Formats: sequence, C-alpha cells, structure tokens
Amino acid sequence: MRISSTIKNLMIETRLGEFEEVILLLAGILGESAYAFRIAEEFQGQTKRSVSIGAVHSTLTRLEDKGFLKSEMGKSTAERGGRRKRIYTLTAYGKKALAAAREFRQSLWDQYPGFAVRIVAG
Amino acid sequence: MSTRPPHLAQRLLKSFLRDDLYEEVLGDLDEKFLAVAPLGAFRAKVRYWYEVFHYIRPFALKKTRSLHINPYPMWRSYFKIGWRNLLKNRTTSLINIFGLSVGLISCLLIALYVQHEASFDTFQPNASRIVRVIMEYGFNGSPDTQRGNFTSTKVAPVFARTFPEVEYSIRMNEADMIVQHNGNSFKEAHFLFADSSFFNIFDYHLLQGNPKEALNGPRKLLLTASAAKRYFGYESPLNKILIVGSREIPYEVTGVIADYPTNSQIRFDFLASFSSLGANQEETYFEANYTTYLLLRRSDQFGALQEKITSFMKKEMVGSGATINFLLEPFAQIHLHSPYPGFVPNTNITYLYILVAVALLILAIVCFTYINLSTARSMERAREVGIRKVVGAARPQLFAQFIGESFLLFLISVFISIAGAWAAIPFFNDLTGQHFQAQDLHTPFFLLFTIVLILVVSLLAGSFPAMILSGFQPARVLKGIFKNTASAKWLQQSLMVFQFTISVFLIAATLTIQNQLHYIQHKNLGYDRAHVLSLPLNSKVNKQLPLLKQLFKSNTDVIQVSGCVSSPVSIGGGYNMRTPTMSKDAQISVIATPVDEGYVGATGLQLIAGSDLTEQDMKDVADDNPKRVYHFILNESAVRQLGWSVPDAVGKTLDMGERIGFVKGVVKDFHFQSLREAIRPVVLFTENQGYGQILVKISGHNMPAAISFIQKTWKNLLPSVPFEYQFLDDHYLQMYQAEMQLGVVMSLFSAIAILLACLGLLGLSAYSMQQRTKEIGIRKIMGASSWRIVQLLSNQFIRLVALSILIGCPLAYWIMERWLSGFAYRVGVSGWVFATAATACLTVTLFTVGVQGMRAAVSNPVDSLKAE
Repeated sequence: MRISSTIKNLMIETRLGEFEEVILLLAGILGESAYAFRIAEEFQGQTKRSVSIGAVHSTLTRLEDKGFLKSEMGKSTAERGGRRKRIYTLTAYGKKALAAAREFRQSLWDQYPGFAVRIVAG
Repeated sequence: MSTRPPHLAQRLLKSFLRDDLYEEVLGDLDEKFLAVAPLGAFRAKVRYWYEVFHYIRPFALKKTRSLHINPYPMWRSYFKIGWRNLLKNRTTSLINIFGLSVGLISCLLIALYVQHEASFDTFQPNASRIVRVIMEYGFNGSPDTQRGNFTSTKVAPVFARTFPEVEYSIRMNEADMIVQHNGNSFKEAHFLFADSSFFNIFDYHLLQGNPKEALNGPRKLLLTASAAKRYFGYESPLNKILIVGSREIPYEVTGVIADYPTNSQIRFDFLASFSSLGANQEETYFEANYTTYLLLRRSDQFGALQEKITSFMKKEMVGSGATINFLLEPFAQIHLHSPYPGFVPNTNITYLYILVAVALLILAIVCFTYINLSTARSMERAREVGIRKVVGAARPQLFAQFIGESFLLFLISVFISIAGAWAAIPFFNDLTGQHFQAQDLHTPFFLLFTIVLILVVSLLAGSFPAMILSGFQPARVLKGIFKNTASAKWLQQSLMVFQFTISVFLIAATLTIQNQLHYIQHKNLGYDRAHVLSLPLNSKVNKQLPLLKQLFKSNTDVIQVSGCVSSPVSIGGGYNMRTPTMSKDAQISVIATPVDEGYVGATGLQLIAGSDLTEQDMKDVADDNPKRVYHFILNESAVRQLGWSVPDAVGKTLDMGERIGFVKGVVKDFHFQSLREAIRPVVLFTENQGYGQILVKISGHNMPAAISFIQKTWKNLLPSVPFEYQFLDDHYLQMYQAEMQLGVVMSLFSAIAILLACLGLLGLSAYSMQQRTKEIGIRKIMGASSWRIVQLLSNQFIRLVALSILIGCPLAYWIMERWLSGFAYRVGVSGWVFATAATACLTVTLFTVGVQGMRAAVSNPVDSLKAE
C-alpha cells in the first residue's frame, strides 16, 4: 500500500455505501477472478444495471484505500494480449465491514413493523 | 470493419491515464471489446469510446507535476521582450494593429447588424406557435395564381371556428391616421387595428389598463408609452379621448403599452380595436385587406393544419369562379425568409449571408497579413529562440511566449476597435438605416462575442508563427546558416494570393452591383418619373378632388394632375377579364388599376394607338350615371395576351369583373413593378372613386415655387389634412433599397479589403527589400541599372497578384451572374469590370512595391555593403 493512501486512510470514511457493498460482495464471490472487468460484468448480470468499467475500477481503488481490499497483479496469460490483470481479494477488515453492514441491516429489518406484525394495509 | 479497438481511443486513454494503471485497464477494455464485438463492430467501438471516457476520473488521471517555480518574473520578462519587439518593429506593429482594428471594427458592426436582424420576433414567447396566413388566389380559366400577405375579414373567425388546432386568431390592419388632440393634429404612420385576441397571442406588457377589455369594443385605443408621453406628457392618458381619422371619430384611451423591442415585425404607436374599423362584415373571402395571424395549440400542428386548410378551401370555393387557398408561414421566419413583409420591411437572408461572408473575408485578410508579417520576421527572432533553447526553454514554453506576444498585439487592437466601433455607430446607422446605440455594444452577448472573436483570431493567426518560431533547432540557428524555409515562403505566397483574390473578387462584385444599380436608376421605364409629385389621398380629400385638380392646374408650372390608385412605379391589384368572343367560363387574369383622364399625361406613358382618356370618359362612369360605360387603356402585353394586334385593339369590347366597356388606347409596355419582374399585361380603367393619391407633373424650371404653390393651395382647401408629398423618383428608388444598401456596404467593405491587402503587401515587400539590401548592393556594383533592380524586386509580387486575378475573376463572374439572375432586366457581367479590378490591384501593387524598390535601388551600395 502506498504511503499517501495510508495517510489518507486516517481521514477516510469507513462505512460502506450501497454500490461499494455490492462491489465488495462481488469481489468476494468471484474470488480468484475478481478483477475490474469481471466484476463489472457480474454486476450487470446480477443487477441488470449498466455500469462502466471505470466506475467499478474507481470504487475498487477507493475500497482498497479504505483497507477493505488488497490487490495484486496476476500472471501474464495469452488472453488479452498478454496484459496482466489486477486481482482484488477481501481483507479481514473488509469481511468484518461486510458482516457489520449485514448485521446493521438485519437489526433494522427486525424493528420494521410490517415483518413483526404482518398487517396488510387495505 | 476491423474488430480491433479504435486506435484513437487507445491513444486518448494513454494520454490521460496513470502509467501504472495502463496495462490492467487496457486489458480490461480489450476484454469488454471482445465481449461486445458479437453485437457488431460499430457497437463495440462506440462502447469502447464510452468506457474510455468513463475512465476520466480523479483516481485514474496522471498526476500533474507541480514544479513550485515562481513563473512571475519569467512572464514579466516575456512581456517586456514582447513590448520591446512591438516598439522595435514599429512599421510592422502599426500595420498589424491598424489592420486588425479596422477588421475587428468591420466585424463588430456587421455582427451588430446581423444579430439585430436575426433576433427579430424572438422576444415573443409564443413565436413558435404563431403563423401568418398568406392568400393565394387565381381565377378559373387562368393558370397563374397570385399570392400576398392579405386576407379578408372572414378568414380569422372561420379558421378559429373550424379548426381545433387554432387557439386564437387575429386580424390586423395598419393605416396612416390623423390624430387630433387639444386642437392639434398629427399624422401617425404606425396606427394598428387589431382584434381583442392581441394580448392572448402576442406578449406586450401593459403599463395601464386591462388586457382583457382594452380592445373589447369599438373606438378603443391603446398607446405605447412613448406615444402617450408625446400626447399627454406626464398625465395619465387613461379614459382620455383622442380624435382619429378624417371622419374625426373620438376614441377612448383604454391602456398604455410599455415600449417594446425594435426587432419586431409588428410595429405600432397606436393600437385600436379592430371593430372600430367597421370593416366589411360580410362573409367573403374577397376584399382581402387585412393581415391574419393564428396561434396554434402546439407548434407541431403546422403541417397538419396546412393540409386541412387546403382541402377545406377547395370545398369552400366550389362554384365561385375563383380558386383561393391559404398558406401558413411560421411567424419567426417571416422577417428573414418571407417575400411578404410584416408591418416593417423584411430583410433578405441572402443579404445577411453576404454581410457575414464579407466580414469573414476581411478577417481572413487581416489574419493572413499578420501571419505573413510574423513569419517573415521570424528570422530576426531565430537567434533569440536558439539561445533560449540552449538555456533550457522547452518548446511549449516558447510557444506560449510567442502566442502571448500575439495576444498582446491583439489586445491593443481590441481596445482600439471597441472605441472605433463606438465612434463608427452613427455612420453605420446612416448606412444601414438602423438605430443602433453605443449601449448595444455592451450587451453580454456582445462582450462574449468580442472575447470569443479575439480568442479565435489570435489563436488562428498567432499559433502558426508561434509554431514556426518555437520549432527552430538551436544548433542550426546559432551556427548562422539558417534561411527562411521553403515551406514558410510557400505559405506566405499562397496567403498573399488568397488576399488579393478576395480583393479582386470584392472589387468586381462591387462594380457589378453598382452597374446594375446605375442601370436601374437610368433605365427607360416607359414612363417619365421626373418632376412628378405624389400626394396621398383619403376619403375626405377625394370629395374635394375635382376642385383641387382645377386649382393646381391654374398654375403654369403644373403640367398635368391625375387622381389614381397607384402610380406607374408600382401597380398591383388582380382583376379578371374576358372578351365577348371568349368561351363563357374563360377568363384572363390581369393587373389593373383605376385612373382618371390626367394619368397618361402626368406620367408620360407613350400612347401607340388609339387616344387618351377624356373628361367625357370619366363622366361615363360617374356614380349618378345609370348606363355606365368603361374605357380601358391596355399595354402591349395585354393586347398580345388577348391575341389582338395593336391597331386592331382600339374599340374592342372588354368585360372586366362586371365593368363593360371599350378599349380606348394602347400604351407601350412600361415597368410597373420592380425590374426583378418581367412586364405583364396591365389595364388602366376609368373609375371615379377610391383614389389613393394625386400625381402632379410639374415642369422642372421652377420647382420650389411650384411646390410651395401646391402646398398653399392644399392648406387653403384642406386645412385639417397634413400636406405631404413624395417624388415619384424617390418612391421608385425605395423599391431597390436593399440593393442600394448592398451597393453602399459592398463599396465600403471592398475598399477596406483592398486597403488591408495592400497593408500586408506593403509590410511584406518592405521586409523582402530589407533582406536583399546586400544583393542589391552587389548587383549595382556589377552594373545593374536602378530600373532593372525595381523590375527584379517587383516581379515576384506582380506574378502573385496576376495569379490572384486569374482566380478571382472567374469566381466573381460566377457569383455575380447568380445575383443578377434574380432580375428580369439586368446588365451583363462585363469585361471591363474585371479589367478595372485587375488594373486596380496591379496598380496598387506596382505602386506599393515600386516605391520601396526605388528606395532600395537608388540607395548607395557602399552603405549596404560596408557594414558586416
């Protein structure tokens, strides 16, 4: 991790936005093949929402700066003209953040009256 | 199509993307491209571009290096060097600044004019939904139709009733009215009658009064704020009474309208309710004297409504013996595109295009002069560039320095030209007949325009010299074997050729326009328009006409007096006529106009058969005569169309719309419309009523006395009607106002263009002499005569100008032929026009170059050779 981003870390917001959460989850799901293009494709496939690779890449970089992800250049392969991919993997901190986000959401659902009482509004 | 990612997009990506991201991003985008490629190569490429643009995000951009160097002292140095250079090359700087200023002044003024004309009616919020109704009519049995911007009273209510697309409709009529207030009478030229839907359709702000009721009923009147001030000063005019017209009808003032922009086709000082006209209430499509506008519910209903109207009118006119259709015209396009004026004269869009083209040409000449002079002088800066580069200046830095110097020069010119434009506005107003003010130059639009203009011009003109200068190679420059490159020389020469081509073209075009104008002014029109006064008439004067004619004729300087509807300058009015021998339904459409017995005498029409109308002929059509017999005078074209010969025509019977009578005489064809139109059949017929003017032919010997006599007579007989007159000559010239303006404007700007081209030539030749002083010195020592040296020096420039003439003349011929083809009666593009243009350019070149050449040739060779 670059020094500048460590310093920036001190000032960075550590909560997850909705888009960030989805990207982080997708990175976790894709595992070994989690790189910008694949994540963007997966995002489109799962959400039916169009997204540019640049937007995904930008989010991945931000998540890395926050410490939720770490990345490494993959091996050079014959596909895509021998150009390497940057593979993202979840850090322990990132997994914790995902779990916290889920718990928080769950606790909100638990308080939601529609679920607890099941009243069907006329 | 290849299935490889677009190369240009990749280059763009590389130019902004952080280097460490390049590999992975390019790889990702490649994969994306391949994934989309099955859907089509084009889509894949578009997607690729889309992805590239979406990488323009802060995280992905290259970090710009901030050097933390204080650039201020360097800028100061650039400025100082630039300033010193301006002062050092005083002639070049003056030529450049003068040329630029003149060019920019021309552009600013032209932009002012064009903007004003192009902005007509745009202030109306409903402009896109308003249409004007044009009437097209013809008579059965005749193939020609006529069109005009007039409609009958029936059109507006019927259309509003019949077509759901029409939200509001309005009828308007403009008139000259005499308005009386406190015993004083004034003639008001902009007196408009309009239906009460006026304020629903058009946006005018009422200072006083209620828009719903102001025009709701007869004899109601609104004034503009400035008209109100003229009549009532600072009193409130509301509910006051004004006496209007020759019948002296009292109108109640029901409101005051705020003054509105001048770029409006609807112009009025007084706005009265349409119902006060007491216009024809009959349901007829004839008697078309009014302008009709419609407000559509949606602007896209235009085409649909037009189709509906056409089929509706076909049904309406069945069995009427005539065809009438109504065409719609978008309101916003009337001023520039319609052949029929609004309540102010239209401007032809071609005229604006010509002006813009002239402005661009002038700007091009100015820019080229600047480029030429700066590249020619670049040799002098070569050493400076070399040293700067050796000391570490980078090319972009040098580029910025030189383009900055251009900016400096252009900035000076901007201030001069803004001041110049201010000063030139009154002069420009005279030229164009507009009312611009200095404030019009400070509108946000104009400031923006000036800034953009100057940026564009200085980038265009400044970047080429800056590129050449900053591209010098230090080693070669400093070794001293550096010469002006061949490509730079080629550029200079082609720019010069271009400048002179423009000049040749403008001179030839101007001369042709002037030729045509001269032709128009001096063509024998078939009647005599010299010394003929035209006095406007109204119904009140009409009653006094016989007495007035008698009184006028008592003066020996008055040759003839005639009451008529139109003077021969401009006759309109479609009638249909037939002869007893024609089949029952057949008609011939002609233009005809009522006249009296003095008409032929007053206008100098040439009778070639039969005789003139007499007073007895006029009595034959008097109101109290139960058996009216009409008499007709035809022109040759009318005789031809009827299939007669000129001598036979006299005495034949004609029926012209229920007027039955005999042909009394035949006149030679005369031009009763603009020379753009071919001569058509025309009929003059006897009728006693409805005259619009009196023509008074006076002898040319004692004009002021004759006019003052006429005025005195008028004042005695008709004290309440203002005395006004116009010479027929002036009326004739008014028809060609657009051409006259074009002529003046073109003369001015072609003079400017050739002046600017000469300035460029002057600068360039001066420089070339200076470069060759040593050569000239050696030639003189070797025995060359001064004459031979002048010849040598001017040769290259003469060749270039000759080339320009070769290019410019055919160009001018082609374009002017097209302009002239708009006239049915016209001059040709004659050879001497080109001869003059060529001679002018060559003379100017010879003079400019020759004077400088002489100076170089007679100088002492010792002076130029001794110093090394």
